[in-house]
Amino acid sequence: MGTRRLRVAAQFAAVGAALAASLTACSSGGGQPSNVITVSSAQCGGGWSVPGPGWHTIQISNQGTGGAEIDLVDPANGAVYAEIENTGPGTVNPIDIDFGSGKYALLCLFSDYGPLQGPVVTVAGHAAGTPAVLPITYNQLIPLAKTYAGQEETAIKVMASETATLAAAVRSGSLTTARRDWLTAHLQYESLGDAYDAFGNFDTEIDGRADPVGVTSPQWTGFFRLEYGLWHGQSLASLAPVASTLNRYVDQLVTWWPTQEVPLADLGRRAHEVIENALEFQLTGHDDYGSGTTLASTLAAITASRVLLGLLHPLLAPRYPELPAVYSALSLLQSLLEKERLANGWWVPVSALPSATRQAIDAACGQVLQELAPIASITEPRNTANEF
Amino acid sequence: MSSDTPEPTAAPGPARRSFLRGMAGGVAGGVIAGGAAGAAAGYAYRGAPADPAAAANAAVAGGRLPAVPFHGKYQAGILPESSRATAVVSFEATAANRAELTDLFQTVTDRARFLTAGGTPPPVGIDGPPSDSGVLGPTVVPDGLTVTFGVGSTLFDDRYGLAAVRPVHLTPMTSFPNDDLDPAQCGGDLILQLSAGNADTVIHALRDIAKNTRGGMQINWRIDGFASPARPAGTVPRNLMGFMDGIANPSVTSAPQLDSLVWVDPSTSREPSWTAGGSYLVVRLIRMFVEFWDRVDIEEQETMIGRRRATGFPLDADSLYATPDYANDPTGDVIPLTAHMRLANPRTPQSASSQILRRAYNYDRGIDQVGDLDMGLIFTCFQQDIGRQFATVQTRLIGEPLIDYISPFGGGYFLALPGVSGPSDYYGRALLA
Repeated sequence: MGTRRLRVAAQFAAVGAALAASLTACSSGGGQPSNVITVSSAQCGGGWSVPGPGWHTIQISNQGTGGAEIDLVDPANGAVYAEIENTGPGTVNPIDIDFGSGKYALLCLFSDYGPLQGPVVTVAGHAAGTPAVLPITYNQLIPLAKTYAGQEETAIKVMASETATLAAAVRSGSLTTARRDWLTAHLQYESLGDAYDAFGNFDTEIDGRADPVGVTSPQWTGFFRLEYGLWHGQSLASLAPVASTLNRYVDQLVTWWPTQEVPLADLGRRAHEVIENALEFQLTGHDDYGSGTTLASTLAAITASRVLLGLLHPLLAPRYPELPAVYSALSLLQSLLEKERLANGWWVPVSALPSATRQAIDAACGQVLQELAPIASITEPRNTANEF
Repeated sequence: MSSDTPEPTAAPGPARRSFLRGMAGGVAGGVIAGGAAGAAAGYAYRGAPADPAAAANAAVAGGRLPAVPFHGKYQAGILPESSRATAVVSFEATAANRAELTDLFQTVTDRARFLTAGGTPPPVGIDGPPSDSGVLGPTVVPDGLTVTFGVGSTLFDDRYGLAAVRPVHLTPMTSFPNDDLDPAQCGGDLILQLSAGNADTVIHALRDIAKNTRGGMQINWRIDGFASPARPAGTVPRNLMGFMDGIANPSVTSAPQLDSLVWVDPSTSREPSWTAGGSYLVVRLIRMFVEFWDRVDIEEQETMIGRRRATGFPLDADSLYATPDYANDPTGDVIPLTAHMRLANPRTPQSASSQILRRAYNYDRGIDQVGDLDMGLIFTCFQQDIGRQFATVQTRLIGEPLIDYISPFGGGYFLALPGVSGPSDYYGRALLA
């Protein structure tokens, strides 16, 4: 097997005092740096140069009349070395990178203007520098977002049938069946990857925590409310309306979801956000309202993350050298969690885990998150010279 | 819900963090010479030379303490006096096997080498989040940071095949009769003490090391501490009972004292050879019931300790570093036989070999269930042999009058590893090789 990696990525290697010295030299004392490059909607940097390979700072002065995004790109293929996302008119912002031997150009993306690429600057020699990342465009992400929305729609419909079954089980009066059906439906919900308001207010109604209102409040609805009742001796008769309401909200979600657009930047972000959420609410035991199934919910979050990774894989593979480490870290976490599944289909509650087991799971989850972290940056949709 | 998209199977791991070693040479920049009075002997003082106190204070306040050289026969954080800020952090090793444990130790070494030297992390790129937390600004200042890394007895169980090379005196911490130990705040496979001129430097280092070792170790417990400035200047920092703490210590400039009291020496003991240059570290987390203490009159306080609170003088003397004359006070009329100072160090020929190198910090972390202040002492000490030294001293202290006002609740026994000798060495290389 591959050895787990403790470090995130080679490009995170720190550089020492040599860099500090270099930057100091480049930005010369006395306030105004000597290497200011002026950009506007009419001209994306005149002639500029760097002394040679190595760490240098260039200062980009926006003399245009509006805001702009300024990228430093490889003119051959549009790969991005560095970017300033928002530079206001009249401001000066630095770009500092390790210039390698090769060709560089500024790309100016002024609001209300087409993309403008500046002159090509050649750095001589045979030195390697900061690598450029091929930008991912809106057009590349749109079909993925559509596919994702479709998969989610299918999964939401599955959940709707499961919550209908759950509501019927609660009405029928069998606690055993109701609990089992609750787990099936709830894990389906957790595997949808609803991190950070992907479902708007529905998340509060379908999977809201007791925290803001308290466990006795009639305002508390959804899966956790039902879990609390099913595992705290509340009568099934009293829970039947709770289950029906849950089913009704899920039906509404089925109708609402197709009217929504998935923000393109969410695809990459959500891949780690769902695991961040699991660490905060599931592995801590916070979201255990009695069933002791937060480890299963964590597995569901892994499923959600893998769906997104699967969609993004063709874009990530050529851009993220550590991608295999993401998968091996996920597999390790998954295998540790699956060991805690009991023969009867239920789960060891987080609070009952031996300390060493819990630490192993937490450490594996931390490693997953560290490996996932770059994906949101890499898959952020970017404007290019050809697509704007 | 499941994905139909095929996923690659986990590829064999990349060459094991070879880049760590590759970058090592380029990292350790920014070392500012100075303040290294003992560098030739293999250790360094954290602060500036003791000359102009004002300049030194300004350096502390400005976070400009010089770098403490990381490489050496001994770890650089053992001999210096307590710095202003510290964190003591216990970890469980979660590395899956010996190779991963080696990776872990190499990664900790690499980060410690960079953090203690300082330098500029790479600029924020577009291929991921920033590599550095930014807590210290764009350039990481050394700020006198020392990283002291150690191992606990549990690391030598069957997980990593290290049972045969366990240091002879490394055991779980003894529970002494007056202890009230909380298992959740005791022990650990690994111990990390980060000390620097300022709390932000300590926190920055902890976050950096933790994020780079996520899968390899998991925090068990941690406690943050501080050392006060000496008040008045030129004396010794005080603990939160108001008394100066750590006045009588072995001399850190006396090689014979250090060799006989602090450093583990396999050539003169049964210790495994890899421990050469290491030192046993005892950590004791001791709550002080300061409200109770503040209700005790000064004479009782001073006779419990054996020193004057205001000046730190022994009760039988009129200078700070005077040696108490117990021979002339055999029945404890001046310094009671049960005074903390007298029990801890009776100053007899027989007790000389039980001396420890004390490095205490204060802690302060909120309140307890009755609203009293939860504060006390992070007692750390270094020694050659825990049984002969700390445990002997602590045994003499059993039942001392002071116990009504304190409660040891956590800590552990560790071996602070031998130093990292140079750019190609790493923590525990002789242990793991």
